[in-house]
Amino acid sequence: MTRPEVSVQLTAIAELRWCMFLNGLRSRRGKTELASRIVVTATFTVAGIVGFLLAAVFAWYFVSENNAEYLAFLLWPIFFFWQLFPVMATAFTNNPDSAELLRFPLTYRSYFLIRLAYSYFDPASALGTVGLLGILLGITAARPLLFPWALLVLVTFALFNLVLMQTVFAWLERWLAQRRTREIMGVLFILAMLSFQLIGPMMGRLGRAPHPELSRAAQIAARVQTVLPPGVAASAIAQTAHLQVLRGFASLLFLWAMTLAVGILLHLRLRAQFGGENLSEAAARPAASHSKGLQVGWNLPGFSPSVAAVFEKEMRYLARSGPMLLTLIMPIFMILIFRLGPMSALHHSSSFRRTPDMVLPGAAAYALLILTNLVFNSFGGDASGIQFFYASPVTFRQIVLGKNLTHAAVLVLNTVLAWIAVSYFYGAPHLAVSVATLAGLLFATPLNFTAGNLLSLYAPKKRDFSTFGRQNVSQTTVLASFGVQIVTVGLGIAIFAIARLYQNLWIATLLFLILAAFSIPLYLLVLRRLDGIALQRQETLLTELCRA
Amino acid sequence: MTGALAQSFGGCARLRKLMDLAPTICTQGLTRRFGELVAVDDVNLRVAPGQFFGFLGPNGAGKSTTIKMLTGLLAPSSGRIEILGIDLNARPVEVKRQIGVVPEGMALFGRLTGAEFLSFAGRMYGLDRVTAAKRAAELLDFMQLSDQQKKLVTDYSHGMQKKLALAAAVIHGPKVLFLDEPFEGVDAIAAGTLKSMLQGMIARGATIFLTSHVLEIVERLCSHVGIIHQGRLVAQGSLEELRAGVEAQAPAASGNGAGPSGEKLTLEQLFLRIVGGTHRTEQELSWLG
Repeated sequence: MTRPEVSVQLTAIAELRWCMFLNGLRSRRGKTELASRIVVTATFTVAGIVGFLLAAVFAWYFVSENNAEYLAFLLWPIFFFWQLFPVMATAFTNNPDSAELLRFPLTYRSYFLIRLAYSYFDPASALGTVGLLGILLGITAARPLLFPWALLVLVTFALFNLVLMQTVFAWLERWLAQRRTREIMGVLFILAMLSFQLIGPMMGRLGRAPHPELSRAAQIAARVQTVLPPGVAASAIAQTAHLQVLRGFASLLFLWAMTLAVGILLHLRLRAQFGGENLSEAAARPAASHSKGLQVGWNLPGFSPSVAAVFEKEMRYLARSGPMLLTLIMPIFMILIFRLGPMSALHHSSSFRRTPDMVLPGAAAYALLILTNLVFNSFGGDASGIQFFYASPVTFRQIVLGKNLTHAAVLVLNTVLAWIAVSYFYGAPHLAVSVATLAGLLFATPLNFTAGNLLSLYAPKKRDFSTFGRQNVSQTTVLASFGVQIVTVGLGIAIFAIARLYQNLWIATLLFLILAAFSIPLYLLVLRRLDGIALQRQETLLTELCRA
Repeated sequence: MTGALAQSFGGCARLRKLMDLAPTICTQGLTRRFGELVAVDDVNLRVAPGQFFGFLGPNGAGKSTTIKMLTGLLAPSSGRIEILGIDLNARPVEVKRQIGVVPEGMALFGRLTGAEFLSFAGRMYGLDRVTAAKRAAELLDFMQLSDQQKKLVTDYSHGMQKKLALAAAVIHGPKVLFLDEPFEGVDAIAAGTLKSMLQGMIARGATIFLTSHVLEIVERLCSHVGIIHQGRLVAQGSLEELRAGVEAQAPAASGNGAGPSGEKLTLEQLFLRIVGGTHRTEQELSWLG
């Protein structure tokens, strides 16, 4: 048997992806996904064109003004976008599972190249490349002789980003492979995201008065950035533009060295994967424990035992998900951000007199928003457990009601915590604000749950917690939930604006209650029809959620 | 051969007598199409009360599709299903209350502990909280899973998950149990536990319907067998009735109803003759090492 060639294997994988794409179009769901993908791609294209033009104009300006080192201001955002977008927006990311590839007789070289090739088809890579092309165009327009050198530097920078992106993915996969490390990672990730959100308000607060420490820190940061990849790439171009060719060449070599170093990290990880590394999910065998007393299930007054059972199951799932638990503090965190940021500045200047009172409705809306993943794909985490629901003598409306009660409980808890936080930071909100917020939730929650329940059945997506860059929510769901949130939040803002216009917040309560008079019956109507819809969608749900 | 064989089973006096009993599982013209493909074609099954029924067939014959339809996990394209005399299509919840199911994917919730999952399953099947908890504890003890109190189901081994899935399927004391490949991936010790439990259920009057690729297990456990081939039910009856049917068809088929040395045909031999399969001895794929 002849040894398979790398190019043949790469072509075979490309053909496989194409066949999978075409076969996916056979179902209605696949066609809907394609439509969503077209919308998403169009959005990315517009973003790409804007980014390209901005990059080109600014690069032209910097180089024309003989300030090519300022190109770092363009390269840093591209770098951050390239590396952070795939991590934060996994719904748009596509990364191969090593197990899918390793069963074939791939050489390590092929495996390495395929991983890199995959990362090039990521939206972040595409948009990053478009941005770099814009910079190249700007530089060339300003100084045509710089074109070959700028091309070489920017290609190196792009390669660095590609390799780093795959390295981040590969190491994240390593940590996500086991439940415990996965949960620790999730918590660290959310903490990192929270810290990022604090930067803006902190900077705003510090910026109001002169802070010598801040300007010293900025000077240090400016120096440090020159030895980091975007700064090095900018220096390489700037030094050559200033006719310091040797220094420019040294900077390029340094960029190559950094790419190589990151490549070695990637190699270490991929080599372990290629060598058949098996990261078992199973925890170490625990010491035999004696039977505890009877663990009697929960009771939920006013609801059937099966609804209580689903409620308990959902709560236990939530309690065992570190990242999900951490999201519960997000609304309070948002209040803290507002306290540090613009709200404190507006405290006395608002025409609404008690502008901080708007923090409570904002936090409540945020609490509803962070439930989106749970509400709009409520069966995603059940995986093959969905078979149990279909085989059990319980109607789907009861199952979904149990799930919605869990979501509502989380929302109520979050709103109460937000109320306490607002009281602590700003003083207790006016009664009118509290009641209007509750009325707003009374309208928005059933509307969200209605859309979420329908999408959970019509566009289910199995949540795969163990691999990175696998879509955990369908793109249809992302777009539809986005639409619902825009409508809900938009109506909320409009209603509060009307109340503000008339200087009477009770108007907001009244309007929300009128809207709730429509959204609650709509929720109940859809809930009653869920049994039929679940039966109609049975095969889709079982196929999507039970697949390996 | 197979159609005629099925007819000859239909003519069997004992089977006719059996059919006169109100069957626990009864299908009429059960058909399922996936586009052009007819996965299950006009299947008429009769499983009497108290039978341990093995449902066999080659890969892709329609076993899993049939069991999914019988348990409400897949809607038939046409035909009728009655379980315990109740129409599954008309009163699915009532049927589901009286049956237990271990489907292909085991239908477990990975982020619960074994005790939590069983308690959950019990309450979903209408048990009160205390009864569900008591039975969960008993089942965990019986399945030798009680020393893993804090372990999440997702961290269980495959065999432990199978045992837990079976425990969940029986926690409400079903009258009929449907098992899709219950012994697949299960070690000998766990298989022994499962078998003794299933035999205990049969002794207490339950009806069990299982699919399996392991013909030895079916031969040892099941009193009756149905064979599906290319979507059509080609044989059903007790092992003796199947042997009699094959012997009746023997001159037309292979010229010999008995085994090579005159002993009783094993289920494997019966199966191969009924579905028309042969063990290939000659090497046809010359490029294979």
